[in-house]
Amino acid sequence: MINKVNSGFSQAIQNIGKSNSTNKPNQELSKTIKTAGEYLDKVDQQQVNADASVKQMLAGNEDIDSVIAKTAKADMSFKLLVGVRNKLVEAYKQTMNMKI
Amino acid sequence: MDVNTKYGTIDIAISGLKSQNKYIEIIGSNISNAQTTKTSSGEPYKQIEARFKSTGDKFGTVEVEQTEAEGGFKRVLDPGHPDADEQGYVKMPDINLPSELMKLNTASRAYEANVAVLKRYQKMVERTLELLK
Repeated sequence: MINKVNSGFSQAIQNIGKSNSTNKPNQELSKTIKTAGEYLDKVDQQQVNADASVKQMLAGNEDIDSVIAKTAKADMSFKLLVGVRNKLVEAYKQTMNMKI
Repeated sequence: MDVNTKYGTIDIAISGLKSQNKYIEIIGSNISNAQTTKTSSGEPYKQIEARFKSTGDKFGTVEVEQTEAEGGFKRVLDPGHPDADEQGYVKMPDINLPSELMKLNTASRAYEANVAVLKRYQKMVERTLELLK
């Protein structure tokens, strides 16, 4: 389920990146967003791996330590992603609310 | 930032967990086979020793290597035993149960220590990420 949400989010982020890429002054932000989108793919992959390893463990093919390692990594990456995402959204909001 | 660079601590702690797990397995085998007079090779059980090795160059993850202990067997007088020789002596594994239990204590404490490292590291990263807020 998370990967579906993730891929939707990824697409949305990439769309933002595309629409902004024609704007010269905004290229830095769009680059950041694109990188965030790529990072999101990595996080998604880690979550898929962690999910698979849980299933493997339940099937009796993997030990619990490896599962802990993978879920811990996926968890940390996800938290970093959420932190960066929140910061980006906040920056966007602040820019939009700027008085001209 | 590469995704895989910041996981060194996790990998090291997990390798510690796995090694201690293996060590406890070896100790368990030694304890439960302390009276085994016959294995598939015909000999009594030989005590297994664990040796911790670093996989990296001085620094890095750890793994356990298991070797059979040097030395012979204890000879115990027990004429009624099915594996006794003509003089009534039975060859028994030379395993000292109290020292195995001491090792078990060490191993489980070491396991806890590795868990503590893992937990603390996760907390540290979370604290760092709080700076983004």
